[in-house]
Amino acid sequence: MLSLTTLVFLPLVGVLLCWLLPAKHARVVNVATSALVLLLAVALWAQTDLAASGYQFEQQVTWLSGVVSEEGIQYHVGLDGLGLSLVLLTGFVTLVSAIASWNIEKQAKGYHMMFLLLLTGMLGVFVALDLFLFYVFWEIMLLPMYFLIGIWGGPRRQYAAIKFFLYTLFGSVLLLGGVILVVLKTGTWQIPEITAQAQAAVASGDAGGILGSAGLCLAAFIGMFIGFAVKIPSFPFHTWLPDAHVEAPTPISMILAGVLLKMGGYGLIRIAYPFFPQAAVDMGLVISILSAIAIVYGAFVAMAQTDFKRLIAYSSVSHMGFVTLGLAAGTDTGINGAMYMMLAHGTISAMLFMIVGVIYDRAHHREIGRFGGLAWVMPKYFVLASLAFFASLGLPGGSGFIAEITTFVGAFNGPHRTWAIVSLLGVVVTAAYYLRTLQRVFLGDTPEVYKDRTAYPDLSMREYAILVPLALVTIYMGVIPSTAMDMVKGFVEGSLVPLLEAAGGGAGS
Amino acid sequence: MDLTPIIPAIELTVGILAVIVLDLLGKGRYPWLTTGVALLALAGAAASAAMQPVAQVPGETLLGVLQLDRFSVVFTVFCCVTGFVTILATTRGEAFKTPGGEFLVLVLSSVLGMNMLAMSVDLVMLYLAFEMVSIPSYVLVAMRRADARSNEAGVKYVLFGGVSSAMMVYGLSFVVGMAGGTSLEALGTAIAAGQVTNQALWLVACLMLFAGFAFKISAVPFHFWAPDVYAGAPAAVAGFLAVASKAAGFLALVRVVGATMSGPVPEAADPLTTFLPDGGVLIAVLAVAAVLTMTVGNLAALRQREIKRLLAWSSIAHAGYLLLLLATWSETSIAALLFYLVAYLFMNLAAFLIAGIVIRERGTGELDALAGMGRTNVGIALALAVIMFSLTGLPPFFGFAAKLQLFYAVFERGFVWLGVIGLINGVISLYYYARVLGVLYFQEAPEGEAPRLQLNLFDKGFCALLVVPILFFGLFWGGAWEWAQDVARDFHLVLGVR
Repeated sequence: MLSLTTLVFLPLVGVLLCWLLPAKHARVVNVATSALVLLLAVALWAQTDLAASGYQFEQQVTWLSGVVSEEGIQYHVGLDGLGLSLVLLTGFVTLVSAIASWNIEKQAKGYHMMFLLLLTGMLGVFVALDLFLFYVFWEIMLLPMYFLIGIWGGPRRQYAAIKFFLYTLFGSVLLLGGVILVVLKTGTWQIPEITAQAQAAVASGDAGGILGSAGLCLAAFIGMFIGFAVKIPSFPFHTWLPDAHVEAPTPISMILAGVLLKMGGYGLIRIAYPFFPQAAVDMGLVISILSAIAIVYGAFVAMAQTDFKRLIAYSSVSHMGFVTLGLAAGTDTGINGAMYMMLAHGTISAMLFMIVGVIYDRAHHREIGRFGGLAWVMPKYFVLASLAFFASLGLPGGSGFIAEITTFVGAFNGPHRTWAIVSLLGVVVTAAYYLRTLQRVFLGDTPEVYKDRTAYPDLSMREYAILVPLALVTIYMGVIPSTAMDMVKGFVEGSLVPLLEAAGGGAGS
Repeated sequence: MDLTPIIPAIELTVGILAVIVLDLLGKGRYPWLTTGVALLALAGAAASAAMQPVAQVPGETLLGVLQLDRFSVVFTVFCCVTGFVTILATTRGEAFKTPGGEFLVLVLSSVLGMNMLAMSVDLVMLYLAFEMVSIPSYVLVAMRRADARSNEAGVKYVLFGGVSSAMMVYGLSFVVGMAGGTSLEALGTAIAAGQVTNQALWLVACLMLFAGFAFKISAVPFHFWAPDVYAGAPAAVAGFLAVASKAAGFLALVRVVGATMSGPVPEAADPLTTFLPDGGVLIAVLAVAAVLTMTVGNLAALRQREIKRLLAWSSIAHAGYLLLLLATWSETSIAALLFYLVAYLFMNLAAFLIAGIVIRERGTGELDALAGMGRTNVGIALALAVIMFSLTGLPPFFGFAAKLQLFYAVFERGFVWLGVIGLINGVISLYYYARVLGVLYFQEAPEGEAPRLQLNLFDKGFCALLVVPILFFGLFWGGAWEWAQDVARDFHLVLGVR
């Protein structure tokens, strides 16, 4: 029973149950299924040997024989520490988001079905070892996301939904182009096998890489990079994110920021970088510059926002810049830090969006300028909100600190030191806008409207159930970083970094 | 003389005569009888076509003009199925409750023409079959005499068809002159032997010839008729034109292009340096037409607010994707073309069927008429959503599998730039396909809740029959792809080249 297939397709059983049972039970099914998924993920964690190299719990069956390559397309799933860390993140963030979805009333049945379908797509991406399977899961997620934003979103939901869909599909088709080229030249859809071919090419000093031509490798890498960068989202492909985040309902924003953005980073680490190490090293400078722009520009734009949710959205752009910055460095510390950033940002941003959601539920607006003195009205909310803010701005003790410091050290020791230093400016601006927001929303005089205790009660049990676990994980990851770091280390230090170093990148240059 | 190749044609002819006679004798009082006879004729023709023994090598021809090979068999079945669905869909759509005898005769004649076209290996026969497909279609479009739009559409269709047909004949006269014979074989030999020396004249001939095909497949710049004609014709007929008529055009193109492609397909060069296909002038014309057609089709579709017009522009864009496969001629391309056409058949017939049902119930084909259907008619809305996603080329639907194989074939020949243009076009198309979904699911019906569409079991079952394959082949298309490759391999063997 304990297999990746069970894990990935369990939410589909939930979808079926949602459909069959009366609408009022849909939310129960959703929370129960999400909890079960997290439980399964934890059980898998307990059985994973993080020291072993390669993939565990592998399952491989021929799916479409004879398609393109001789062995055809395989249903091939497997898990290593890297995938495991993200599967755990997915399970965790989805469970808290499912709890946050408890109050959805509009077409509840459809909502929870879409929610669970999305979960299958996300889990599938992190365990797929066949490029076709990966792409199918990658795309399947778009469909429920489109409806979740478009039906249950805010006033400009239609615009945001189609913008999200178009941007990500644009990235996806470039990714598809890259995938077709790779499969055409390597003759296989299996990700581990293609990685092995890339390793062999680098080891033999063949500049042509897996595609047999350096130029083609570069083109394919750029295509794939854009494909994944749209999802991350990296500057300049980030403009869909603020709209999607602002219009999406709170739980969906949490998933969007907590899990979906991570798929882009995962794709880079698992696919684009290992497949084209040479191109990745060659593009290192460009990616570093784009990352530095994302970090600094994102922070400044966040500072200029008047909408609370938009501010958090831009802070995501800024923080996800660290992921590509660490990757571009190509060093052990840099890429470990990038992965850690993804995990830390996953929990912190989910928490931040929930915090916005809590106040929006009560005030029905998100104008930072109209708030004030909420700390005196909702003290417990204030405590958790400041915890999230400080964790996000990188105060020691929170997971954001570990992530930022590791990434920065890695990038500083890498070949593109200048841009690592430039991005430090972003950290300062981040501190500025969070402190300013904290002050404007929670401190100072309380306007009359917010003094009504019945309209502005402190956190409910349901909100505690969402925020407290997120806060605990954030602190845990800030204090004991080794748990998560050990998961990602295996792939990063065992496969990816040696590959990049052999291609002339990382600390070696 | 072995008459095996024309058995389906004989069955169709008998069907046509039977329908005419029964319609006259019964004075149109027994529409179910004539409809039944027509359906029977189509089913019989498809069945006997499927059972025909086919040549695996350059084989015998009937009178030197008709050749029975797997390609022709596949297309005969394809067109019979489309005709079958069209007649059934007409009984459900907005046009007539029960199709009259003349309608049935016209559909059958058009299918008969397609059957002939599928087997033609002679330019004159090809042209005759082409006209046999076209002329009944003109009348089909203008069938609703009382409807001004239907009449307008008919006139437009005739004018465009006439002009392009004339250009084609003129082009053919050049081709025949240069080839020294009317058979495709003669053309191939002449090209292989280097007898076509006047490249300028050959270019003119290719352009003229292409005009005729471009009209049938609605490729730019001969596409202007399609949106008006589709909008004016009953939805079922529009579906017939979009699927069978277009497939027939592609089939003929494949035969002609195949004949001109003498010698083995050159090895793919470095993809980044391959800019123009190396296969002569005709191929270059096709490549340009492909890019223009898909781009114009998709961009124009963005502005459509009426479902049949939207589907018309979408079908123009799809013609562009298919042209890519001809421009990058290879065995894989032909397999992908076949595979794509099968996916295209299900997606478009289903889309036009639902369009017809919506127009029947709501009295209008404006997209806004779909508002709120996501909640009132869950099943049909879901079917439409599947079709739209599949047309966009999203997994896990049949349209994605078809697009994957299409772009694989294009990339395999090294045309990365053509492939990337095609891929980006897919993104553009999402905007208008998603608009349909937006109206279905995000938009509230104007005054309160729009009345639920009244659908009977037949409507639903019919939709399901066309939509289920889109789902099934989206996940399990390995077998279908192998079959398409098989047919393409045989086709190349029959061509006797490569």
